[in-house]
Amino acid sequence: MEVHHSLGTSTDWIVMVIYFIAIMVFGSYFSKYNRTTTDFFFGGRRFAWWLITMSIVATGVGSHSFIKYSAKGFEAGFSSTMTYMNDWFFVPFFIFGWLPIIVYTKIRSIPEYFERRFSVLTRFFATFLLLLYMVGYVGIGFLTMGKAILPLLPPEFTLFGIHFEITLMGLIIVIAFIVGIYITYGGQTAVIFTDLAQGFILIFAGMLVFVLGLDYLGGFKVFWNLLPTEWKLPLAHFNDPPGFNFVGIFWQDGVAGSVGFLFMNMGLIMRFMACKSVDEGRKAAAFNILFMLPISAIVVGNAGWIGKAISIANPSIVPPTTNPDSIFVVVANVISHPGVFGFIMAALTAALMSTVDTLLNATAAIYINDIHRPVKKWLTKKVLTWKEEDKQELLSARIATVVFTLLGVLSVIPFSKFPTVYEAHGYFHSTLTPPLVTAIFLGVFWKRFTNAAVIGTLVGGVALMVMGMYYPRPLIEIFAHGTAYDPSHPYTYIGALYNLFVCALFAVITTLTTKQQLSLVNKIKKNNNHKSIMGAFIVTSIIIFILILFNLLPLVALLILTFVMVALVVLASNYYIEYNEEEKTDGLTVWSINRAKEYFKGSKINDREGEKIRVHWKLKDGVDDSIHFSKSDMKRMAAEVGDLVYISDARKYLGGLKSIHSVYGEPHDEDGIVYISSEHFEQGQFVKGKLLIAEKEM
Amino acid sequence: PSFYNTWLPFIYLYGVGGIFFISGMIIVKKAGAYNPQNKRHRYWWRITYFGFFYYMLIHAALILAALYL
Repeated sequence: MEVHHSLGTSTDWIVMVIYFIAIMVFGSYFSKYNRTTTDFFFGGRRFAWWLITMSIVATGVGSHSFIKYSAKGFEAGFSSTMTYMNDWFFVPFFIFGWLPIIVYTKIRSIPEYFERRFSVLTRFFATFLLLLYMVGYVGIGFLTMGKAILPLLPPEFTLFGIHFEITLMGLIIVIAFIVGIYITYGGQTAVIFTDLAQGFILIFAGMLVFVLGLDYLGGFKVFWNLLPTEWKLPLAHFNDPPGFNFVGIFWQDGVAGSVGFLFMNMGLIMRFMACKSVDEGRKAAAFNILFMLPISAIVVGNAGWIGKAISIANPSIVPPTTNPDSIFVVVANVISHPGVFGFIMAALTAALMSTVDTLLNATAAIYINDIHRPVKKWLTKKVLTWKEEDKQELLSARIATVVFTLLGVLSVIPFSKFPTVYEAHGYFHSTLTPPLVTAIFLGVFWKRFTNAAVIGTLVGGVALMVMGMYYPRPLIEIFAHGTAYDPSHPYTYIGALYNLFVCALFAVITTLTTKQQLSLVNKIKKNNNHKSIMGAFIVTSIIIFILILFNLLPLVALLILTFVMVALVVLASNYYIEYNEEEKTDGLTVWSINRAKEYFKGSKINDREGEKIRVHWKLKDGVDDSIHFSKSDMKRMAAEVGDLVYISDARKYLGGLKSIHSVYGEPHDEDGIVYISSEHFEQGQFVKGKLLIAEKEM
Repeated sequence: PSFYNTWLPFIYLYGVGGIFFISGMIIVKKAGAYNPQNKRHRYWWRITYFGFFYYMLIHAALILAALYL
């Protein structure tokens, strides 16, 4: 395999340094408003759909996509777009189910949903799995950055007489150190405006590579005719090769990945919570999936397609044996002038930097909210002042960030053994998402899914997944759709189908036997030694889990023991944790969305449809949180006193930046005028003389 | 090009994907999360169906373009 070194000129390095400084200055300018991504996006539902759509694009394109998809575009052609174009199947579940639930229940994190829908113990399980998932993502980010920067550096150098050889792992450790400094000083959290700017720049850079590439080849027709037919097909071969095939990627990305992306990606959920209403969230989701994802697929994969065409037309410039993971860098270097190459590489590495940086912060935030605080509350009796606590938590957050950075670097070791970043990411995704995806999906759409069932699903699912790793044949082979067995990386993608199946299997069995479980637990409670019996159940479960984890028995014995373990865990959950189905599903599943709306509003909902109206504003006396329209304006909006109202500056391009939510107060007789309090005026930053648009919510 | 890298993946994608899609539509309708009396809901219901066929059409067009252009 061809390995490249020392690409780029000194002009490129100067451009890269200037770009990095500019991004840092741009970020710190906005950070003086102290509006980090987290603050900004929890700041309140007020933004228009187009603003949210662009920030979602920044998360979709801004990460490891360029390296990953260009590699697959080079190896397999247009089928590298598969992962961006199979997300529509779960849209009905999202826009009619999950989106209204996250907005109306005001949940702030996935673990919080698990606690409200199930129990505190389930929240801990979910937090643990979520942290593993995020640390893995940090590792993928480091690996991608290492692979992007390695071709730019010489193979070795001498400093102060000491000879250094540049290896991928050594480079990743240096990158992790730089990211650590970047987080601690300056950009504590990637500022939203930097994210937005980088989203635009990345799309521009990706399209620039495509245009320059076509120009280099001599036009689109030459490019099209150079590519072999099978390189132009949009879907890969059904089950071959094991490293990139349609059926595996459908289950790994189209099913597990799509549900994971729409239901448990915290960055995405925070952005939808920032929309001014559920309807705006639907617009953002639909526009993003229908139009922005196909554009993103071209932006991130085209360097691979151009590379393939050049390797056919002129194999001496881009050898067909080029390492796929460095094809983006190689092609960008071939087709662009000095300076332009520097800009493209700077855009890529800066975006990767902020992706890893944001992920590390989100991971530290989950640690603080879902582990540190509850454990500390449980362990200490001493009450600290708010200031002391904040100081302590800040220190803990920093230590947590350092620890998660180290764990991320360690996770690079197994990932780097895969042929490309794409395969590493695919395997990691197909292994870690199924238990959480099954738990959250059934929690939302199946009201009979109990707390004991979700714990049984997570424990049993993880146990059978571990066995799938030890015994890919026969366990995963049954589901493989004829995909060949590759001993070094068995069933990279189709493993997701096996993992989803075993999690769903335990979910269904444990839910449908709820009645029998409860009657058995009641019988045990009548026994004088019921506490000892339950203690024995838990100890036995732990022993069985250890036997599975270290593969200490033959496969058949482990399979039988897994079912025994799940039965014991489910009985213990029913014994120790009281679960009231009516209370735990009220407003938290798709079957009770109207209840969620009522909780959100605080009274009965008014479903009549009204129109948006334009009004001038005047200040009223008093500071109560209600605003007053005329009787006829209220009639046009189909509103009643006590309904929720959203008013925003009438200038569309502000995207909801100047807006507030409030409640309709008693009406007056001045048409076209709304009376607001001075607090509303300050909060909405309204401008004197500028019209407002008012609409009834929900 | 063969059946295995053209129409088989296409049929599988929209067959199995279609089962997920339709079951989603049925569940949200049964649960009352989709209210046919509500004009906005009816609009989003149509958009959801549109998205499914929109992607189906794009994939079919891309396969035909690769084979015949």
